[in-house]
Amino acid sequence: MKRIHRVLALAAVSSVALATAACGSSGSADDNPDAKVTITFWHGWSAPNEVKAIKDNIAAFEKKYPNITVKSVGNITDDKINQALRAGGDKAPDVVSSFTTDNVGEFCTSKALVDLTPFMKKSGVDAATVFPKAQREYTQYQGDQCTLPLLSDAYGLYYNKTMFAAAGITSPPKTLSEFDADAVKLTKTSGDTYSQLGFMPDYHGYESTITHFGAQWNPTYFTSSGKSNVGKDTGLTSAYEWQKALVDKLGGYSRLEKYRTTFGDEFGSKNPFMTGQVAMSIDGEWRAGMIKDSKSTVDFGVAPFPVPDDQADQYGKGYVTGTIVGIASTSKKQNAAWRFVKFLTTDTGAVVSFANAIHNVPSTNAALASSEVSQDPAFQTFIKIAQNPNSSTTPSSPNGGAYQLTLQNLGYAYESGKTTDLQGGLDQAAKAIDQAVEQAQ
Amino acid sequence: MRTSRLAILAFLSPWLLGTGLFFLYPLADTVYLSFTHYNGFGSPSWDGLGNWTYVLRDYDFFWPALRNTLWLVVVMVTLRVVFGLAVAQLVISVKRGSNVFRTLFYAPYLAPPVASTLAFVFLLNPGTGPVNTVLEKLGIPAPSWFNDPHWAKPALTLLALWGVGDLMVIFMAALLDVPRELYEAAELDGAGALRRYRYVTLPHLRPIIGFAVVTGVIATMQYYTEPLVAGQVASGQIGGSGQQVEPGYPAGSTLTLPQLVYNLGFQRFDIGAACVVAVVLFALSMLFAAVLMRRGGGFIEADR
Amino acid sequence: MRRSALQWVAVHALAIAAAGFFVVPFAFVALTALMSNDQSLTRELWPHPFVWHNLVEVWHTPGFGTWWRNTLIYACAGTALTLLSSVPVAYALACFRFRGRNLAMMVVIATMMLPAQVSIVPLYLVWAKDLHLSGTLWPLIVPMAFGDAFSIFLLRQFLLTIPREYLEAAKVDGCSDLQVLLRVVLPMARPAVAAVALFQFFYCWNDYFGPQIYTSENPGAWTLSYGLQSFKSAHHTDWNLTMAATVLVMAPVIVLFFFAQRAFIEGVTLTGVKG
Repeated sequence: MKRIHRVLALAAVSSVALATAACGSSGSADDNPDAKVTITFWHGWSAPNEVKAIKDNIAAFEKKYPNITVKSVGNITDDKINQALRAGGDKAPDVVSSFTTDNVGEFCTSKALVDLTPFMKKSGVDAATVFPKAQREYTQYQGDQCTLPLLSDAYGLYYNKTMFAAAGITSPPKTLSEFDADAVKLTKTSGDTYSQLGFMPDYHGYESTITHFGAQWNPTYFTSSGKSNVGKDTGLTSAYEWQKALVDKLGGYSRLEKYRTTFGDEFGSKNPFMTGQVAMSIDGEWRAGMIKDSKSTVDFGVAPFPVPDDQADQYGKGYVTGTIVGIASTSKKQNAAWRFVKFLTTDTGAVVSFANAIHNVPSTNAALASSEVSQDPAFQTFIKIAQNPNSSTTPSSPNGGAYQLTLQNLGYAYESGKTTDLQGGLDQAAKAIDQAVEQAQ
Repeated sequence: MRTSRLAILAFLSPWLLGTGLFFLYPLADTVYLSFTHYNGFGSPSWDGLGNWTYVLRDYDFFWPALRNTLWLVVVMVTLRVVFGLAVAQLVISVKRGSNVFRTLFYAPYLAPPVASTLAFVFLLNPGTGPVNTVLEKLGIPAPSWFNDPHWAKPALTLLALWGVGDLMVIFMAALLDVPRELYEAAELDGAGALRRYRYVTLPHLRPIIGFAVVTGVIATMQYYTEPLVAGQVASGQIGGSGQQVEPGYPAGSTLTLPQLVYNLGFQRFDIGAACVVAVVLFALSMLFAAVLMRRGGGFIEADR
Repeated sequence: MRRSALQWVAVHALAIAAAGFFVVPFAFVALTALMSNDQSLTRELWPHPFVWHNLVEVWHTPGFGTWWRNTLIYACAGTALTLLSSVPVAYALACFRFRGRNLAMMVVIATMMLPAQVSIVPLYLVWAKDLHLSGTLWPLIVPMAFGDAFSIFLLRQFLLTIPREYLEAAKVDGCSDLQVLLRVVLPMARPAVAAVALFQFFYCWNDYFGPQIYTSENPGAWTLSYGLQSFKSAHHTDWNLTMAATVLVMAPVIVLFFFAQRAFIEGVTLTGVKG
């Protein structure tokens, strides 16, 4: 079949007199990293301050290695990365980064990104001492370290101090029942909508997803043999039930959904927390920086997200994830690309300055401990969440984040009342996840 | 007119090449790939009926997508034809300013689908959109349109009715084409307006209605951009880096078969399964086309 | 007399109501495009104050000019190539008798009815994996050089109405087949050619699926339709700027339509009249 592709391709091309760029698509790691070379770097950052930060980082790298030029392309989604890694060719990226760890399993098992272990050995990078444990885990799949962490994200609770004071709440809630009570206290209805909402629990409410909530119960998504465990994990069941109960306490699904449609874009200046439409929100550490960079006057505090009542001793944990970076297996400049990846992920100065510039949590032990890292109390709260041993993440799977979509869909059906049998829904989700994983292999 | 076979071949050559390269070859390859396991790396491996059983039996989104497509084929196409006919009749009946109305009614048809969909999602936004603002001021219960699984397809239908200009113009031409004598004869026979419409106008319009239905069904089988954009924008998740976008928001109600091909083939890279959906889409399109052309439309003039 | 006056009023009232349905969405889009960021997510309908600067701001968004240029290239090249490749085919199908003609016509119609998504996977694989041309406009433009089924169909329907005698007479005068096409058929078919050109131009201008598949990985090759969809996520923009961008994408097609209205309406009519 491959031959037919080529024959037809040739016919098409010669008939329109285009030069073919066809060539072997397998990459290699025998390039000379000291030769003059240009590598292509794809990333997802698009906001002006982020783009400037990544450009500064690249400039620092190019100064250190003047023979390597980095051409960066921003605002790239994971779909595009996946497509380009398959296509290969001259314009395909050498180094790619993704905001999500979801696709690490897919990147590793499909060999789209090369295993970085040999490179690390050669340059004497010991992953175990350089990177924190959680970050090491979400960047590999079954021992294949095909990506490295490039800054991390930790999720916590943002709360509006002015509204807390007005409602007579003196400190951020630590357990979920305190949280529920505060959310109700902070909610002011007006007609069939709200003039102020304590918290937006709906799964479409931006970062309020089932996996972000679920982290407070430390669920096991897959068994050690790789089968879905969501039908048996009681923590996950509790997470769904807690959210649904909160939806009902705050006025019900349809009223909340209608209110949600008045929200501005999540990453725009009209984010509902920044406009005061909601009093509390679950969000990543970057939000604090965004609020400061914007004209928003909201007086906010941050704290770890509350924990289930029976786990009060674990208060301080949260959902942790991060941006990852890897080298395309189709790249012919893998040694040069490795220099760049090594710089981005392990150079303490680079990691710290990038973290400070885009308000993300640093991803190496040295950078986390560095005194150069922003000492802002809000930021330090998130650093502590990231370092908390009970914080958890979503594991990678061979078909990327598909299982999270399945869980999200169950969440939509359950919160809206379309599905009332949660256990049945979870069993069905487990079956669908297993079938999808099997179909992908 | 007669000429050498070579000359005919020369005139036909671009199309003959094109049919081979962009129709027959991809079609054959799609069928072949539907029996293989292929994730875009390396080369496809034979998988027998694996993808077929997965898509038809296990895959949660296939049947809802098929149902949505059929819903749209039935409801959207019918309403568009009826509404197009009504608007055409209206414009013809207008004595003054008929041209102005025709221009105004036709313009939405040309608006780029992405733009018009964005506009409709904004207009029908349940919380802040002008339409619901007005409805609520009038005391009419306002639905949540693109945010409600029951109203998302009707909202898309509304968008399709807004762009009814193509049918309106065709129907106008056909209506003006009905010989006046037929109406006059019917009137002399004492037929009322309704009966005249039933026994004179409609029979005359039959082939055009057939044409409208056939092209409408074809267009609906390919319905892609509007539901995709509407779903993404209304969900608030626009698919930036690192976001898992659920197809067919809300609750899969706007998922159509063409979107499934994209989702499976270009987001999940399950190329075999994507090709299964593509083959089903192909079979359905051809089936509809064959049935409709046999029954409704002699609109393709045969040899003469 | 009274009855017809009443009817006159009723018909015009209905027409004006219908005009509301067709025009009001444009009006709301335009009004929102001129609102301030703070106002765009309120229930107010009238901009206060008018922020004309929104249009300027969108126009100067990095990339917007490139999207414009790409769309123009795609639409112009696509239209020209479609005409060049489809006119001779339609001519052969309409004006010559040969074996397989009906079969050829059926294949044209089948192609016309084929959803683009059916063949996209193999085509993408060739363009991306074998030719490494994804991320460029080539995969969108090149197929246009191989005849477009809808254009062929439409042109053929029109060419069938040209009396055979004209063509025969030209041949008697010693014209070759090509000369007959260029000197006799084309001048007579001008309205159909114009309609096909306009349709194709609009098809390319409005196309979303093609650019999404082939150009999405390279922002330098995006077209307006694709860029507009990404606009909200890429720039984290609020509704006022999104609507301003919508205005700027809609405006050229609407303006073009007002100028070429007659050709359009004749063209649409053409597709359906062969009863």
